[in-house]
Amino acid sequence: MSAILVALIIVPFAAGMVSFVSPLGSARLLAPVAGAVSFALVLTLIPTVVARGQVSAGSELRVDALSVVFLVATSFLYLATALFSAGYLHLGAGPAALRYGRRFYAGLHVFCWAMLAAPLVSGLALLWVAVEVTTVVSALLVAIDDTEAATEAAWKYVLIASMGLGIALLATIVLYYAGTSAFGTGYELTYTKMLAGAHHFPADVIRLAFLLAVLGYGTKMGLVPVHTWLPDAHSEAPTPVSALLSGALLATSFYAILRYFQITSAAIGSTYPRNVLLVFGLASLLLAALYLVRQRDIKRMLAYSSVEHMGILAIGMSFGVTLAIVGVLLHVLAHAAAKGTAFFGAGSVLRKFGSKDMSVLRGGVGALPWSGSMLVAAVLALSAMPPFGLFRSEFLIVAGGLSAPRYGVAAVLVALATVAFLGLAWWTTQTMLTAGPSDARAAAPSDGSVSAVSAVSVSSPARVRATVAKGEVSPWIVVSMALGLAALVVLGVHLPADLSRLLNHAAHELRSPR
Amino acid sequence: MSAHVPSTTAGIEDVVAVLVLLTEFAMLRGPLLRSQVRLYAFQSLAVSVLAAAVAATRHVPDIYALAGLSFLLKVAIVPAVMLRLLRDVDVDLTGSAKLGVASSTLVALVVAVFGFFSVGSLHVHSTRLPASTLAVASAVVLVAFVLIVLRSDVVSQAMGFFSLENGVSVASLVIAPGLPLVVEMTFLFDLLVAVVAFGIIIRVHHGRSKTLSTTDLDRLRG
Amino acid sequence: MLGLAVVVPNAVQALQVLTVMLGAPLVSGAIAHVEARLQGRRGPRILQPYYDIAKLFGKETLVTDQSSWVFLAAPIVAFACYLIVPLLIPVLTTYPLPLGYMGDILGGGFLLALAGFSVAIAGAESGAPYAQLGSSRAMTFGALVEPTFLFVVFAVALITSTDLPYALAATVRSSSEIVSPGHVLAAVAFFMVVLVDTGRIPVETHTGTLEFGMIDEARTLEHSGPALALLKWGSAMKQLILYTILINVFVAPFGLSSTGSPLSIVGAIAALLGKAVLLGLVFAVIDNLFSKLRLFKITEFLAAAFGVAVLAVVVFYVGPA
Repeated sequence: MSAILVALIIVPFAAGMVSFVSPLGSARLLAPVAGAVSFALVLTLIPTVVARGQVSAGSELRVDALSVVFLVATSFLYLATALFSAGYLHLGAGPAALRYGRRFYAGLHVFCWAMLAAPLVSGLALLWVAVEVTTVVSALLVAIDDTEAATEAAWKYVLIASMGLGIALLATIVLYYAGTSAFGTGYELTYTKMLAGAHHFPADVIRLAFLLAVLGYGTKMGLVPVHTWLPDAHSEAPTPVSALLSGALLATSFYAILRYFQITSAAIGSTYPRNVLLVFGLASLLLAALYLVRQRDIKRMLAYSSVEHMGILAIGMSFGVTLAIVGVLLHVLAHAAAKGTAFFGAGSVLRKFGSKDMSVLRGGVGALPWSGSMLVAAVLALSAMPPFGLFRSEFLIVAGGLSAPRYGVAAVLVALATVAFLGLAWWTTQTMLTAGPSDARAAAPSDGSVSAVSAVSVSSPARVRATVAKGEVSPWIVVSMALGLAALVVLGVHLPADLSRLLNHAAHELRSPR
Repeated sequence: MSAHVPSTTAGIEDVVAVLVLLTEFAMLRGPLLRSQVRLYAFQSLAVSVLAAAVAATRHVPDIYALAGLSFLLKVAIVPAVMLRLLRDVDVDLTGSAKLGVASSTLVALVVAVFGFFSVGSLHVHSTRLPASTLAVASAVVLVAFVLIVLRSDVVSQAMGFFSLENGVSVASLVIAPGLPLVVEMTFLFDLLVAVVAFGIIIRVHHGRSKTLSTTDLDRLRG
Repeated sequence: MLGLAVVVPNAVQALQVLTVMLGAPLVSGAIAHVEARLQGRRGPRILQPYYDIAKLFGKETLVTDQSSWVFLAAPIVAFACYLIVPLLIPVLTTYPLPLGYMGDILGGGFLLALAGFSVAIAGAESGAPYAQLGSSRAMTFGALVEPTFLFVVFAVALITSTDLPYALAATVRSSSEIVSPGHVLAAVAFFMVVLVDTGRIPVETHTGTLEFGMIDEARTLEHSGPALALLKWGSAMKQLILYTILINVFVAPFGLSSTGSPLSIVGAIAALLGKAVLLGLVFAVIDNLFSKLRLFKITEFLAAAFGVAVLAVVVFYVGPA
């Protein structure tokens, strides 16, 4: 079993290296293969982890149920994004396109590699390193389109996220210091060790470490008030990168916070960390819900929806009951699938219409019969409509909140989620379900000739194409979105038994650490 | 490894840490892009010296390697890369302070005092924790934040981030000298990667807008 | 035996004054020599200041016809002040000598200020424009340095709960509470004060002949003969006194005599002069590395020193114990 962990570390990295030198055509096909292999490897881990509790390889790699949950989310999105990229990138011939494509695919693999490594490593220090690598790689991916807006977004992102990670590093060090009272001055920062000795740690120092960790990793996770990079980076990055940022990267940062949560609860009880998360969660949910109502850029809207969902995750953790924690972990999985699908749909719209501005986009479903309707479905899923996975997870979270009992918080959660729903649903229906130019006029050739590099950044209303042919941009996009929706339905309607057990195990780990 | 920090050690650590803090203040004032980079190099030198001192006085020979590597990276390579970047760029003055020298120094003073206060209010009375040095380190981190906030050019902001990392290094050296060497090395390697990322983005930004200022990076909002 | 117990401390006390008085030109000469070497010149002999002073004592004194007696009295007053200060600070011994409690560090500060004031008065008395310019500048910047000095003293008082220089030196020496961040910051602030008070780069070029940039140097332009000798000697002593305070009170109060035995006293004299020359080297290096600030930028430098001093005091109150 430990070979799987090693393979998971090797496959994406090797794929990245190969993509950097191989021809574009093979890089394009290699990506889904690497994604599928990673996803399959993670799926084979599930039964073992459910049965044995943990799997480790050497002293550096170790997974338990909690890490596998995040591995599932990331590797699934890895596969889906790889499929989507094959359809989304319209690279012509020539050296510029080749360079762009190689950089993009290499970056994609390395980004996923770092995000898969974060839950795989056995300790807090390596976790920090993995998260830092995600920052660096994803910042370069955000900047890859080389437009002014992309540069601005990348600069904000790399600066703010790096500062956040500076604080997270401080948290790591402070926690290490807390451990010296139990283990002496030289020891490894592994979870097992930290959890075993946690009750010896000095309480004040632990509190400081947890607060710093939430501030630091919370910056990457997009918790208000340290979320400011998030809408910019999500909206200006190439759409596959946006999907990964939103669905997987935020979750990875949340994973880091959960590890600190676990250790802090073991050391001083869960009241303090739960209260900290509650404050950040409520702030995020409130601000995101308000911004969602007036947001007109489709990718920024989805970005604020991510902030909203991160707020829900933090609030769910603050309830502290097993029911809510299971809901939170399921929410991570469902959010990855839903947000990925929604971004894919947004990417399809962007390719088709050349605009992200929802105040001028019309007739989306008419022009894009498949991906348009699946985008509507994904947005409904994001608003926690049944039968999708997010309905089940938010239901569990609210039910957990009611049983905690934290009636007030649960009521606020439901109210704000409803406001967010209004924002999401209003603009999506306005954009997708109205009559558009394509219904009125004859089909005109408009697609396919645009180079990837320039078309991505178009955002001014004046440049919305007057005529849009009816028809999909690419079958790859439809496949990737169908995959995401299928996963959402599975999570919502019929949760596989092993996955359900996995979630319960993970929630148990968070509740009563060994 | 000794459980107690000998007081002379604490003394050396404090002196170097205060030097790092004062360099941070100087960076806040520095009007030239080059001087920012040089001050950062000096600050990193102080951190490397601190590492060597910690290695010697607390008998953690591993840290010598760390001191050497951090000297190589932070005193030589990173400033060299940044200076090279600046040579290609025809801009000398930052001209980017959002507040006057006096006001920004006052803000930084207040923030630094808050750093001392926050560590002081932790009430850690441990023989093993040099709380005073930790307080200076946290002040360095906070003043680095002020630097990043109050300066609106990419070089100052990048240097601010790197010096923030120096502050964290000071903290890690004094409160966690036993941190496994591999981990410390990885931190440093990571810094190098971050420098590359910052460098690329700075270059892209300058290539697009022919300026190093961030004042025109304000189109994305809402 | 009783006689010896009274005589020895008093003799040592006198020796403190003599060390400063006679050692000061040596330190100045050594610094000037090294500085010249740093700049690639051969430089004057190390003993050159002694020859200068001796020569000046042999010259006649010229007084402008506008000046009153103050013009000639001021150098003597200043010199007397510089002779008293070494009684108050730990120059050679770790233990306080009989007159050591005569004044605290604030008292020493007052004496230095009085000396500076009398020289400035004399400069103003001369009626010459450059001397008056120097006097007015010196008083302006002196007033700005004063708060920094006071805050340094407060920081000192917070460490030791007294502002006696001997007590502070003892605190630094007893390495149990050795240097805290506040102490280091106070030392840095005092270092900057010394830079200003000894007329060093980046505040003033101490070797220049350009009157426009002069501050302290300009005050004595009209003096000549023995009066100028006293002023030059006095400024060398002031430099050594400030160095001594920085070294023996703040930074490195080591090598001092704790027994009062003749051998240890001789050792202490050598140690003091050695440390002073080393510190002078630091100043010489700074002289060579940086350029002089514009006159109006000097206030910024002083403000920075003040900021550091304030931070030093505040850190004592709010920082970790």
